[in-house]
This record gives sequence, C-alpha cells and structure tokens, in this order.
Amino acid sequence: MTVEFLILVALASGILAYFVGRLNKVLGAVVTIVASMFIFIMIGYMMQDINAGTTFNYNAVEYMPDFVTFMVTYLGLFFAILVTFIFAMVSFFNPFFVEKYKYPALYSMLYLFSLAGVLGVFLTDNFMVLFFFFEFIVWSGLFLIPLGKNNKAAISYYAFSTAGSFALLYAIFIMFAETGSYNLHLGLATVSGTTEGTYVLALLAFAAFAKLGAFPLNVWLPRALGKAPDPITAVFSGGLEKLGAFVAVLALVKLAPVGDIAGTLGGLTEATFLFASQYIVATLGAMTIIFGTLMAIRQDDAKKLLAYSSMSNGGYILVALSLGGTLGLSGGLYHIVAHALASAAAFLAIGAVSRVTGTTKMSELGGMIHKMPVTYMVYLIAIISMAGIPPMGGFISKWLIFQAVIDNGLILIAVAVFFGSIGSFLYVFRPLAALFLGQELPQHRDKAKEAPFFMLLPMLILSGLIVFTGVMPNIFLDFINDVIAELGGTGLLLGDYTITGVNGVLQPTLIASVFGVGVLIAFIIFILLKKSKKVGLMDTYTAGNFIYTEELMHYSLDFYAPLERLYEKHINITKDFYKKLENKVVDFGRMVKYFFFTNKPEITVFWIIILIGFLLWGEL
Amino acid sequence: MIDILLMILTGIGVAFFGFVLQTSIAGVNRKVVARVQKRYGPKWYQEFLDIFKLLSKRSVTHGWIFDFGVIMALGVIIGTAMFMPLTSSFMAFDGYDNFFIFVYLIAVGMLGMAMSASGSGNPLASIGVMRALTTMLAYEVPFMIVVLTIIKLTGTSSLSEIGLFQQVAGNSWFLIALPIGGIVAVMALMGMLGKKPFETYIAPAEIASGPMVEYGGKQLGMLFIMHEITVFIEVSLFVHLFLGGAENIVLFIVKYFVVYTILNIISSVYGRFKIDQVVLFFYKWPLIMAITQAFIAIYLGWVI
Repeated sequence: MTVEFLILVALASGILAYFVGRLNKVLGAVVTIVASMFIFIMIGYMMQDINAGTTFNYNAVEYMPDFVTFMVTYLGLFFAILVTFIFAMVSFFNPFFVEKYKYPALYSMLYLFSLAGVLGVFLTDNFMVLFFFFEFIVWSGLFLIPLGKNNKAAISYYAFSTAGSFALLYAIFIMFAETGSYNLHLGLATVSGTTEGTYVLALLAFAAFAKLGAFPLNVWLPRALGKAPDPITAVFSGGLEKLGAFVAVLALVKLAPVGDIAGTLGGLTEATFLFASQYIVATLGAMTIIFGTLMAIRQDDAKKLLAYSSMSNGGYILVALSLGGTLGLSGGLYHIVAHALASAAAFLAIGAVSRVTGTTKMSELGGMIHKMPVTYMVYLIAIISMAGIPPMGGFISKWLIFQAVIDNGLILIAVAVFFGSIGSFLYVFRPLAALFLGQELPQHRDKAKEAPFFMLLPMLILSGLIVFTGVMPNIFLDFINDVIAELGGTGLLLGDYTITGVNGVLQPTLIASVFGVGVLIAFIIFILLKKSKKVGLMDTYTAGNFIYTEELMHYSLDFYAPLERLYEKHINITKDFYKKLENKVVDFGRMVKYFFFTNKPEITVFWIIILIGFLLWGEL
Repeated sequence: MIDILLMILTGIGVAFFGFVLQTSIAGVNRKVVARVQKRYGPKWYQEFLDIFKLLSKRSVTHGWIFDFGVIMALGVIIGTAMFMPLTSSFMAFDGYDNFFIFVYLIAVGMLGMAMSASGSGNPLASIGVMRALTTMLAYEVPFMIVVLTIIKLTGTSSLSEIGLFQQVAGNSWFLIALPIGGIVAVMALMGMLGKKPFETYIAPAEIASGPMVEYGGKQLGMLFIMHEITVFIEVSLFVHLFLGGAENIVLFIVKYFVVYTILNIISSVYGRFKIDQVVLFFYKWPLIMAITQAFIAIYLGWVI
C-alpha cells in the first residue's frame, strides 16, 4: 500500500462521490464515509509497518527524479494518522448534513479532495509536492466554506491562506537556490544555521501562523469556522488547522533557531539558552493565547467561540514548539493530539445541536440537555479536555507545556499560558450553561431530539479517545518519542504508567482511579440519603416575583458582561489594522487604475510625454 | 494490589481528616469572628450540626444534571484531598503530590458545582457561577506566577518536597524568602476561599447566596462537605508552599489554624468588591508584584 495509491484512492473516490451524489445526495456522502475510513485504516497499517521497522522507506518511489516523491516519516505519519482519523470520524456527519447545502455532490467531492491533500502534504519529502497539496487543500476549502452561511468568510480564508502559501513558496525557492533540489530534509538541513535560514524560518513561520490562525494572522479563523458547514468546521479545527502546526514543526524544530542568544536567562542552577527567533515566536504564541481567550469569552455564537478557542490552543502549540527541548516538543505534539480530538468532538456536538435547532447562537438556545443528554456528555468531556483538566488528554499536554515554560523561566509567557488556561474554563463553560443547561426554551422543546446513532457513534469514539489519552497517555507519548527521536531530540522518560518531567512525576492512571474512587464515595453518600422530590425547572426561587416565561429565567446573553466591559474597547485592534490595510490596497488599486486603465486625455498625454522623454533619453 | 488498596484507604482517611479538621476549625472561627463583631457566636461544632441536619432532610431536585453535578463536585474534591500530604513525609500516594494536580482537580469540582447550579434553571445561580469563574480568572494567575517562582527555585512541583526544601537549614519559609510573593499569595488565598473583599460570588443579600440558591437538603449538605474539603486543600497548599510544610501533624494543625484564623479576622473587617473591581484589583497590584518577585528571585537570585 503506497502513499500515491492512497492519494489516488482519495481523488478517485472524490470523483465517484460527486457522480453518486448527483444521483442521490445522501449516497454521495456515504461514499465519503467509506473512503475516509478506508484511508484511515490503511494509514493505521502503515504505522504498524513503520513500528516494525521493516518497510521504513518502502515508498520512496521517484517517478520523475526529484520531482514527485513520497516518503513516510514518523513526523508525517503522526500528523497523517491524526488528521485522517478526524476526517474519518467527521465523515459520519456528512449524510445528515449534505441535504442542507446547495451543492451536496460538490461537498462530498471536495471533502475527499481535502483528504487527498492532507495525505500529500504529510507524506512527502519533496517541497514541490508539499506545496501543491497545500494549495490543493486551500482550493478545496475555498469552495467548501461558502456552502455554509455566507461566502465572505471564504474570501477572508483565501486571502490569508494564499499569503501563507506564498510565504511557503518563497521559502521553498530560497532552499532550491541553495541546494538545487526540492528535497525537504536536504533543503532544511542545508539552510539551517545560515543567513538564508533566517529568511526561510521567517517565511515558514509566517505560513504556519497563517494556517494556525495565530496572532496577528487570526482574522480569518473565527469567520471561516463560524460560517462554514458544521462538519467542515470540525474538520478545520481538528484537522486542517494542524497543517500550520506541521509547518511550525518544520520551521521551529528542523531548522536551527536563529538570532543572537537572547541571554542566559532563567536560572540559578542552570543556564537556559533561548534564541531571538524562539523568543519572538513564543511571544506571538502567548499573544495568540491571550487574544483568543479574551475574544472567546465574549462570543455569542457557539461555533465562533470554539473557533477562538482553537486559536488560543494554536498559541499553546506555538509556544511549546518554539521553546523546544524534550518537554516543549512532546508537550506541543501531545497538545496537537489532545486539541484535535477535543475540538472535533466539541464542534460535532455543537453541530448536532445546530442540526435540530438550526442555530448555534447561545442566546437562542437553552436546556438542550433534556432532549440530547448523550451529546451533552460528549461536549462535557471535550471541554474538560480543552480546559486542561485531568483525567483528560488536555491535562497531560498542558502539564508538559507548563513545565517547559517554567523550566525556561519565562515569566511573561507564563502569565499568558496560565491566563489562557484559566480563561478556558470561562469560555468553555458558556455553551455548557447557555446552550445545554438552563431553562428549556419552548421554541425547541418539540423539535429537539437526540442525534441518530450514526452521529453519536463518532462522537462517542472521540470522547472515549479523549478519556483514553488522559488515562493512558504513555501509548501515545511512546510514538511521540519516536517522532522526537527522528527530529533529533531526546524523548520523555516514560515508565509503565508514569511520565517523568523536569520537576515531578505524573501518573495519569492513578489520578483517574482516585478520581473514580472519589466519585464512587460521593455517589454512595448520595444514594444512601433520602430520595429527593423532582420539580420542574420553572419551580425555582425568584425572590417573590411571578415569572412564567422561560426566556426571562434563562441567563445566557452577555454572560460575562462585567468582565467584557473591562476590555471591550480594545477588541478591534487586529480587525482595524486589516481594515486599514485593505483600504490602502484599494487606494493603491485606484491609483494603478487611474494611471494605467483610463481614457482621460490628460493621463494619455502624460504617458506620451513620458514615452517621448524615454525615447529621447540621451539625445537631448 | 493490597498496597494500592491500602494507599487508597489512607487517601480516604486523609480526606476525612481534612473534612473534620476544617469543619472544626471553621466552627472555632465562627466564634472568633463573632468576638471581633462583639457577638457571642455559636458552638464550635455548629458546622457539623448544620451539615448533618441538611443531609437528613428531604429535598427537591431539578433533573439528573442537578444531582450529577453535585456528585461530581464532591467526588472530585474527595479525590483531590486524597493526594494532599499532611506532613512533609506522610501522604497517601508518595511522590505524586504534584502542585498542578491540585490546581486542576479543584477546578473540576468547581465545574461540577457550576454545572449543577446552571442545571437548576435559576438565573441567580448562573450569575453566581459567572462571578465565581470570573473571580477565579482574577486570583489564579498571580498565584500561579508566585508558585512558578517557587517551582523554579526548588526544581520540583511536589508539595512535600517543596516543604522539605524549606526545612533544610539555611532556607527560610517562602513567605519570608519571597516577601512580595508571599503577600500576593495571601491575597490570592483570600480570593480562593471566597473571603471578603473577594466574596462577590456568594454575596449574601445581593444575589440570593450565589450559585447555591436552589439547593436544600442532601445536595446542599454535600456541597457544604465539598466546600469544607476545598478549603482544607487550599489552606494546606498555602501551608506546604509558603510556611515550610510541616514536620509533624501537630505543627500542620497549628500552622493551618493560624493561617485560616488570620484570614478570617482580616476578612471580618472588610466590605465587598464589585466583580469587575475584583478582576481589576488582581490584575493590577498582585500581578505586578508577582511578576516583580519572579524577576527578582529567578533572574537576580535575590532570595532571603
């Protein structure tokens, strides 16, 4: 099973899905399930092979020498298996959603095309192939996003993605000029540590920031994720955004950090060296965390809220990867896994709600838990992981990242990291309280019902994995250690059940079991006591007022109003900047139009004079 | 297997000890505060009476999430308390008393309570939850920065080892070694415990007692137990991190009592902040002080 075969399968089944979809919308979407499950399983087999060590290079086939080559590396496989898994899980949602969209057949086709793109980006050792598939994903996304609510979001996405792609392309050209080959590993190794390396690092970092939606290239992310079709949102946040993380790994880990050593900061006992580039990226990552958190707190649309949370989690990944070292790398890579699973599950849960209610605005929803308890539990597990609370996967990665930050003695970045971590309790709780809990609003009471089995299945699998990554992380960390070894670092010290960090040992299984024991005790106390009488939700303490409408008893709009008031004047900084930039571009365009594409006589005369002057240059 | 069972039983013992200790000390403190306010005050075991009375009463429930949240809150807090070292050498799970476990497991308890309160359908409860979470955002960051300094200085995040570090001759308690950070930690602890002036989320006479508005009977009783154990965890954290841990259990109880009583006395003479004032307060001086302390201690190495 070679990579090119899998890519061909993805492309062919995409075309098949289109034609089947023309005949029957739902059947076309079913093709996406079959194809993406097949590809995920095949990638799983590849992982077995690579672990056995037998066929490590088995598909370094060169069609045109140095032009189209594929290669399976631990790093590529790590990303590929994660993202194809997210694609496979989300694809179960497609049959239930395609009918809502204008071009259902196109939707199914593009879904599989982006999957093909993902395989191409991660499983190659050739920069041109990487760039081609990178663009292929952007192109598919460009048509997928407007199938949702509106197409303005797609323009924003396209603008930022293209800027990122161009940055990537220039970086590739610089490396090509140095080595004369498009080989990824050779190129990165050659420029590493040279002056060109600085440019390459800056350009690759730009591409990574654009893809991850990190500050200051964050404008497209909430727009695109807020407006895109619900399954696509989950794919973007859980999968395609991780392309940015992949490029970040290339830039921050495979290239040597550049700039002066910013100091021997950080310790009485040992000196920790960080380079200027690491500081800059870590600082921008920290700003991403703070900005994403503050913006997520004030959103009313649940999808936008989760989009900003994706942005803030992208910040964690950047901070971790830029700090490097054993803890930073494993923390960053593990955070990629934990966030991919958690955000996919959360977006799917919100998608399931939006399917029955037709809205994701929290102010229009309430009390969904009474009709959709399973979806609620999925969302709960996802947000516990997102907030970095044990016993879920998010805790392990945050614990590693905290240690990396503390070990480097980066106080100001630590402020951002801690702020984002506590702030995430605030924003993830909002959909929980406003959308699932609270009063059951009459307008959704009759329509709402639990999602069908095939939608619950992927959500439950994701939830199971979220818990599993938190209870038994060593299985995953083992693989991450292989990735780190391939990148030239040292892996974490793992015991049977323990993880050893710089300043402490963690035993996630123990935490989970103690957690279970505690809940068991509480449950026994609860059961042994007298049974309580069930009363309705409207039968509450109202300080003597008589209230009969559910809306008046549901607190969901402007949940954190007192907190938002403190910073609401400053929220439009990046938006204003891009607005100004847009105006400048428009002005420039007007100027060009005025001078080159006009039929005004004075301009024509002006050009004629210039031309005559040019022709007579030196004659006069 | 027997080992693990024994450890878990020890852990449950620690949690139960914490509950009894804190509930008794809270009772004594009601008397102390009463004397400050020139009242006589209730008996020292009044808190126990309150809890057992509540547990024995019949109550109402607003659906399964209302009960589930309570069970989750209490259960997780019991689990957290099981990790707590009592002295610097006695704890249920040796070597796993990681600081981050406490901070984050307490948050699960908070989440459970918040979930249950929102599930009651009462907007007053949701307002209380909003204020509780906002307060948490305020006090947690300065506190974590001070703890970062301690972890960086000691090279460990284990509570008992941090305690032992301070007991080594030549090292003073971190409350003294890091005086600015110590002040920040005291303020943060007051925020954690919901003492005035940071008791905005309970705010008696303003929002009908905050998140707890809908509770009665066994649910309220269980949340009382949860509250007592949470206070035990938070004050113990302070004792281990800043007051040199404890060589033996008597010293632990003495230090615990002193910290809790002093906080209560400070609290009893203050008014109450508005919620945005809480946030502004913590992000102004305590945060600046915490960062200053961290810079001084980590980069300049000035530790008393």
